[in-house]
Amino acid sequence: MTKTYHLLTGLHFALCTLAMIWPGALIANRIEPTVLGLPFLFFWYTLWMLLLFVGMWVAFVIRHGGNHHE
Amino acid sequence: MSDTAIVIGITLVYLVMVLAVGLRARGQASSSLEGYVAGGRHVGVVILFFILGAEIFSAFAFLGTPGWSYQHGAPAFYILAYLSLVPITIWALGPRVAKLGRERGYLTQGDMIADHYRSKPLGMLAGVIGVVALVPYLTIQIAGAGLLFQAATDGAVPFWLGGLLAFLVVAAYVFTSGLSGIGWTNLVQGVMMIVIAWFLGLAIPERLYGGVGEMFSQLQQQAPEYLTMPGATGMGWGYFSTAVLVSAFGGAMWPHLFMKFYSADSGKTLRKVSVFYPLYAYLLVPLLFIGFAGILAFADAPLERSDTVLLRMVMDVANFSPWVIGLMLSGALAAAMSTGANLAHTAAVVLVRDVMGPTVMKGASEKATIGATRWSVLGLSLAAYGLALLNPGSLVMILLTAYGLIVQLFPMVIGALFMPTLRRASVMAGALVGSLGYLLMDFVWSSPFGWHAGVWAMLLNIVVVAAWQRFGRPDSDVSLTRPASR
Repeated sequence: MTKTYHLLTGLHFALCTLAMIWPGALIANRIEPTVLGLPFLFFWYTLWMLLLFVGMWVAFVIRHGGNHHE
Repeated sequence: MSDTAIVIGITLVYLVMVLAVGLRARGQASSSLEGYVAGGRHVGVVILFFILGAEIFSAFAFLGTPGWSYQHGAPAFYILAYLSLVPITIWALGPRVAKLGRERGYLTQGDMIADHYRSKPLGMLAGVIGVVALVPYLTIQIAGAGLLFQAATDGAVPFWLGGLLAFLVVAAYVFTSGLSGIGWTNLVQGVMMIVIAWFLGLAIPERLYGGVGEMFSQLQQQAPEYLTMPGATGMGWGYFSTAVLVSAFGGAMWPHLFMKFYSADSGKTLRKVSVFYPLYAYLLVPLLFIGFAGILAFADAPLERSDTVLLRMVMDVANFSPWVIGLMLSGALAAAMSTGANLAHTAAVVLVRDVMGPTVMKGASEKATIGATRWSVLGLSLAAYGLALLNPGSLVMILLTAYGLIVQLFPMVIGALFMPTLRRASVMAGALVGSLGYLLMDFVWSSPFGWHAGVWAMLLNIVVVAAWQRFGRPDSDVSLTRPASR
């Protein structure tokens, strides 16, 4: 795998981690606006869970997709 | 009376069913030690998904998660954060671990550590840290099972008997079937737990408030402090963030997860599982709802023990039929037991292979080793049961304590996987200082800035490793000339 690939997955992981703890989560520490009935901070966590999954899925398909071996 | 009978009836039928599925798998497990421990190394993606999933849907998830959102509010999101971050470590380390395990026939963490560093004592240290951290983890499951039985039968089955009952079932099927028994049982239980959690999580806010959105808007008017950090109890960002980090990075160090890496049939399988891992956290969302629902419902008479919020909610407030209560109890017990089975099995294997293997059981036959492993399952379950009777602490706090210890394995594992220049004396000193420092900070002193003590101990660990690398003497043998892996 290329350097860019590792750099991008690493950045994605770091971004998702920082979004869920200090200081990233500070910007979401509020009740309004509510999304899907959830207070904003609660929604924020469910959002980043999804973003982490999507990023990992893309990384997986790029690396292991098709029939070639690891 | 008849209600209690229905509840107990459903639960007993379920326990028998679980036992039957577990025992049936016996025929499929190969009888060698490797078959007993690593499932023969050919566990596919579906079973692996459920085995890993059952780690998450434990008594901790069912009782502790709503307990924390009820008691603290927003700080309970730490559970969502750390769970979804655990796969990062699995993604990065897992395939390497699986490859080394396949090539060199490792079964435990201690195997890898002892082999890589050419040091039996270091393997033993890893084993001791693993077992000491695993026993309280097992205690959570036993205490959870006891609470469940006690509450759901209105005290007809006392705490001590409930815990004992559930763990006799667990010990019975681990004792006879090894990992295969756990895998098949988890397949059944995984589905059950998910259905129950979502049903309760949506039905309770619906019955009490007319929906989840309505529940949160009432909370916003009457108790808004629960909905944002620092929550109702004033938990700071420092503790919250460090607890997330320790748990997320400690997560993959747990022997029961680590040993499952060896049983993956390829690194690709492992990565595939880790991709879906963040989705497990969604399964906990409805359990958080239940805790939030309890904040206003129990505003006048706060619960003595917050871990019972789900139980009190289901039984006293929401007025479900005994059939629903029976299913709920079964689901939560399933959660406690499948995780308990995994933990008991792992702790026993680690104890026998890593700690007793190089000492009291030197040169023992494979048959004797399997025998010792089975008896250790019973012994360690009993030890955890004893702790459960003694220790009534919050389930989440017990788990957070155990995480601070297990994360101390991080430097030596990283060394074995990626940093061949790390020396055995360095990682040993680091792990010793880190572990002892952690225990002191957690139980004797208090942790600086109110952070999770595991982070400080981890920093201490790394500093000691670095200092030893710089100033210590090189290992006397040739281990440095040997690459970490091919």
